[in-house]
Amino acid sequence: MRRLVSLGLVALGAIGIALALPARPALAQPAHPAHPLGNFTVNQAVGLDLYPDRVAVTAIVDLAELPTLQERSAVDANGDGKVSAAESAAYNTRVCGAMAGAVALRMNGHRVQWSVRPAGFEYRPGSAGLHTSRISCAFDAAADLTRPAIVDLVNGYRADRIGWREITAAGHGVHIVNPSVPARSVSDSLRSYPTDLLGSPLDQRSARLQVELGDGPSAGATIHLSRGDPVSRWVAEADRTLERLVGGRLTPLVGALAVLLALALGAAHAALPGHGKTVMAAYIAGRRGRPRDALTVGAIVTLTHTGGVLVLGLLLTASASLAGEVVLSWLGVASGVLVAAVGVAMLLGVHHRRASVYDHHHGHPHDHDHDHSHSRPSREARRLSLVGMGIAGGLVPSPSALIVLLGAVGLGRTAFGVLLVAAYGVGMAATLTAAGLVLVRVRDRWTSRPCRTVARLTALAPTGTAALVLCVGLGLAGRAALGVVH
Amino acid sequence: MRHRILLVGLAAILLTGVGAVFGLQQGVSPNADTAQASGTPAPAAQAPADQLAGAIARAQEHLRAVPGDYVAWAALGSAYIERARVTADPTYYPKAEGALRRSLSLRPTGNPAALVGLGALANARHEFATARDLARRALRIDPYSADAYGVLADAQTQLGNPPAATDAIQHMLDLRPGLAAYARASYDLEQEGRLGDAAALMRRALGDAVDPADIAFCRYQLGELAWRSGRLDDAEAEYTAGQAADPGYLPLLAGQARVAAARGQTAAALAGYAELTARYPSPGYLMEYANLLRATGQPTRADEQLALAAAALRLFQANGGTDDLGVAQLALAQGHSRQAVVAARGEWSRRHFADVADTLGWALHQSGANAEAFSYAQQAAALGARNCGYLFHLGMIELSLGRNVDARRDLSAALALNPHFSPLDAPVATAALNRLGSR
Repeated sequence: MRRLVSLGLVALGAIGIALALPARPALAQPAHPAHPLGNFTVNQAVGLDLYPDRVAVTAIVDLAELPTLQERSAVDANGDGKVSAAESAAYNTRVCGAMAGAVALRMNGHRVQWSVRPAGFEYRPGSAGLHTSRISCAFDAAADLTRPAIVDLVNGYRADRIGWREITAAGHGVHIVNPSVPARSVSDSLRSYPTDLLGSPLDQRSARLQVELGDGPSAGATIHLSRGDPVSRWVAEADRTLERLVGGRLTPLVGALAVLLALALGAAHAALPGHGKTVMAAYIAGRRGRPRDALTVGAIVTLTHTGGVLVLGLLLTASASLAGEVVLSWLGVASGVLVAAVGVAMLLGVHHRRASVYDHHHGHPHDHDHDHSHSRPSREARRLSLVGMGIAGGLVPSPSALIVLLGAVGLGRTAFGVLLVAAYGVGMAATLTAAGLVLVRVRDRWTSRPCRTVARLTALAPTGTAALVLCVGLGLAGRAALGVVH
Repeated sequence: MRHRILLVGLAAILLTGVGAVFGLQQGVSPNADTAQASGTPAPAAQAPADQLAGAIARAQEHLRAVPGDYVAWAALGSAYIERARVTADPTYYPKAEGALRRSLSLRPTGNPAALVGLGALANARHEFATARDLARRALRIDPYSADAYGVLADAQTQLGNPPAATDAIQHMLDLRPGLAAYARASYDLEQEGRLGDAAALMRRALGDAVDPADIAFCRYQLGELAWRSGRLDDAEAEYTAGQAADPGYLPLLAGQARVAAARGQTAAALAGYAELTARYPSPGYLMEYANLLRATGQPTRADEQLALAAAALRLFQANGGTDDLGVAQLALAQGHSRQAVVAARGEWSRRHFADVADTLGWALHQSGANAEAFSYAQQAAALGARNCGYLFHLGMIELSLGRNVDARRDLSAALALNPHFSPLDAPVATAALNRLGSR
């Protein structure tokens, strides 16, 4: 990107004339500041109002200083240097006519015919003693919105001009289903443009709306944040606290607190649903795992998670073209597939054991890799499955860990960030290991009691667990894949 | 156990890497790696407009979550500058400055990326001395920043310091040979009068270009090189190819309008300029348009364009900018030669760039100070080699000083280089040569 920047500058040099005359923040405050969107922008706002029997558009055009001057000869038709009321009205009519031709509204694919009413034209004081223009128009058309309809709005007016373009839509007696545009103008109909450093100028040229009868809350694209259960709320609050701690003044006490909080957050992260932890615990139990296996999985989860967050953090700081959410989604897919693969391996193992028990003398093709116990898979396969489970558990980095790391890197506290991420991993592993150990305990308690039903259930357990692991794995992969496609 | 840990680590890194590769948007340049290696952030390298928009959106999203990330702020600022360049929309310059200053306030020392970004911004605003100082500061922190050398090279070129510019370009070529370095080196060669070598290097840059905007840029430069040697067909072919790559690259419209005017297709040329200046009313383009209108006998419409150019310059100054070169050129076009002399002298006191010498010389000639004009016209010709406009001005000044032999040589050279170099001046040069010949 830099290269392009610099190339552009070479171009400037080569052309040798003042090619770019950018607007710049005023050093000495002029009487009227320059147009906030640059001196040669043509800015437009199209406000759509939907009624059961008609559609109406309020269109505003805001011309910055230079387009206003360029249009001057069109406004001052007789060239006497003054703009009379008649000239002004004629210009307003002409602009509105041209705009009505370019603002196309289709109801279920049929274009409506606007009746056009010019609604005002005035000059406003601009920078350097020049003026800006504000032109208003009203379009109106009969329409039957008593039945559900798809409304398509395209604004093609002066499409090649640089400028702000917004579309708003509001229903009156009709309801817009999941509106894709807001109901209220963020620029107060081109009167005050947002100046947020992190916002780009709007460039909304079209909107597709699904409209049905009824007075619904068609208040525009408002986002409803679900407050969630108390645990999620607590976790979110703790996340914010940790981010504050990372950004604030760093004392030994704050550092220790941050590490503790990271541990707790990691543990809580693992406890929240959605990362296949339960299945991991079930796996340990179903595979007749020993406490040691639970510890192994815990250690692997910690290592994978810490490594994953570090690598991803490194990639994200190195390249802005990397979309964090997309990476997370793909990692989710990978994690799900891994779990499913372990499930498949378990199923095969179960089948294999059955086959070896009942069909041994038939010369089953799987004979060659039977181990001697005939009731347990090979140590190697076991180990691989455990490792796979651990990796799957730690592969999807906790977004809050990632944010804490990036925040720390941004503040030049990389080592501290790494420490916190490691603490996250340890916290996660602690929860998972504890869950695994509890299950192992419970299972031992059950199987130690001689009971027919339990014995039968235990005999079925390996197949059941394997199927469960496979299903959950596929589910996780599928859900993450949806995120990727989206 | 140790094997297991090793296995886990490797698998985790591998899988994360795979995920990251999927997360990368398509079309990442091979140069992104080198940009990272040089310790600077590598924002979505050479992205076309929509990809650039995506990169900006992601950086904005990231910074909402991590407002303390000074590297991301610097990258966002540079992305805004790039956006301003691609769309010719200066709205993004104040935003770019805001983002870069935020980066610098988050990390006031050891932040070369922000300094380089601010330098690029200063160049875009014609504050070349500031740009040079910023680039030097960035280089003191990171002596291996090719981007900083790029900013320095552009600033030194505009400040009229060709040896320093050449040196910076050489550093850039050594550190990161690629499109940006080739393009600058090509311009440098052109200044030395080596048009063939310049074109060859620009072709190499074109071979390196992947993005539509980059291709359009290279095609435009190749077209300009052809135009400056009077090869209209070649120039037009390059402009057309550029437009096929990126129809939004506006300088191509100017190139095509110039070619159309040279071919006598006045209507097409005027329509081209009308479209160009409607989309991008910069003083330079408006003055070119006015020249053509005047040459085709439409003085009233020409004056309208000059009034627009004057307004554009006034807006630039009202916002705190300084472009006395533009003011001088406009005053010349309007026939106010004394104003032109004052403005051009002011610009010359700040920078000894060839264009400034040429404009000052011509302004002096127009106000009758031919002896002084001659020295500046000579300097212009010496600073920027083989430019038709410079040669024409030099020849006309020589003519009024009675140096007929030199005048004939320089005017012939201008017409030999490109017989269509200006719709207004080329006929004047031809007429002057005819008079000289008949004497």
